[in-house]
Amino acid sequence: MITVFFEPEGTSISLPRCTTVLQLLHQTGRKPGRALVIRNGELLTPDRRLTPGDSIILRDVGSRG
Amino acid sequence: MKCTRCRAEAAVALPSHHSAFCPECFLLFCRRMVERAIHDHAMCTSEDRVLVALSGGKDSLSLAWLLKELGYTIAGLHIDLGIPGASPVARRITESFCSRHGIPLSVLEMEPLGLGMVEVRQRIRRPICSVCGQTKRYFFNRFALDNGFTVLATGHNLDDETSRLLANLLRWDTAFLADQGPVLSAQEGFVRKIKPLYRLSEFETANLSFLLGIETASAPCPYSAKATFPVYKALLADLEDRQPGRKLQFYEGFLKHGRQHFAAQGKTPLSFCRRCGSPTSTEICGVCRLREMMGAPAEVMIAISSPAVLRTQDVSGSAEKE
Repeated sequence: MITVFFEPEGTSISLPRCTTVLQLLHQTGRKPGRALVIRNGELLTPDRRLTPGDSIILRDVGSRG
Repeated sequence: MKCTRCRAEAAVALPSHHSAFCPECFLLFCRRMVERAIHDHAMCTSEDRVLVALSGGKDSLSLAWLLKELGYTIAGLHIDLGIPGASPVARRITESFCSRHGIPLSVLEMEPLGLGMVEVRQRIRRPICSVCGQTKRYFFNRFALDNGFTVLATGHNLDDETSRLLANLLRWDTAFLADQGPVLSAQEGFVRKIKPLYRLSEFETANLSFLLGIETASAPCPYSAKATFPVYKALLADLEDRQPGRKLQFYEGFLKHGRQHFAAQGKTPLSFCRRCGSPTSTEICGVCRLREMMGAPAEVMIAISSPAVLRTQDVSGSAEKE
């Protein structure tokens, strides 16, 4: 299970089957280049593998004024 | 994915540049993009005093960091718009950032000038984003001129510039197209304005901001939901997904081949506002008309160069040197 925290919304979800950052982006309706994917303070590229128990911050990059 | 430059584990993938970078090399990439923008467009030199317009967002704060890293003489100006929730957070982040990086900062409060955006929004009939933008541009320019700055730098990134270009093209707004670019030359009543981040996308400045440890504002402007530029940004982002690099080509192509044609059509002649002396296409400039509508005292405008009247706050004294 991967836990995803959305910023700036402040919400979270759990994803049961998700093994790469690219899958995570697809499953959450994001595209590479539109959101930062952060694990333990580290930026992840779309090809990076995820492991069960990971906590991921998904930060949308669009400025909102 | 490996860093294109040093082969370490990459942190940022950039299809538009056919590259990926580790954190250290990405900082170098951003630095070089800004150096190139400054060099190619003769934006500023080490002799210039550069005022950086600091909103408290990722772009303007990253810009201040980059310009300081590159050795330019900079100071920041933050305009406190008086919007509950959003403005106090933006101001705190800006003050904290400048203190941490030893950047002199002035804060200009709109509410004491009778231009707090909550009250303005209740009185105007135009979109608030338009009035707010006009007011900020006015005060950034006046502050720079009145305080001896030779350049005003803003944090507009590639997405800001391309979305504005697309919007102007869709309207065939020749006056705006003639003026669009990363540099607006100084002229009487206007300080030189530069956009050193214009080659960096919003994704790139977001990554840069994260790597620099810049705090992200959790309270965006509550009025920004009606802004129109996000529509154009989304269209261009979809295009960029299919054709990586297209946004930068679009903008650079306009600068190289398109802008000259619009510039040749001539600009709207400007005179000077009868109240405050700022350049305007009408007898009274937009900000003075707004002040009049809001019932704000006109004498404050005359004394614009006085820090006491502007209620600026210099927090540079508390700055921690790195």
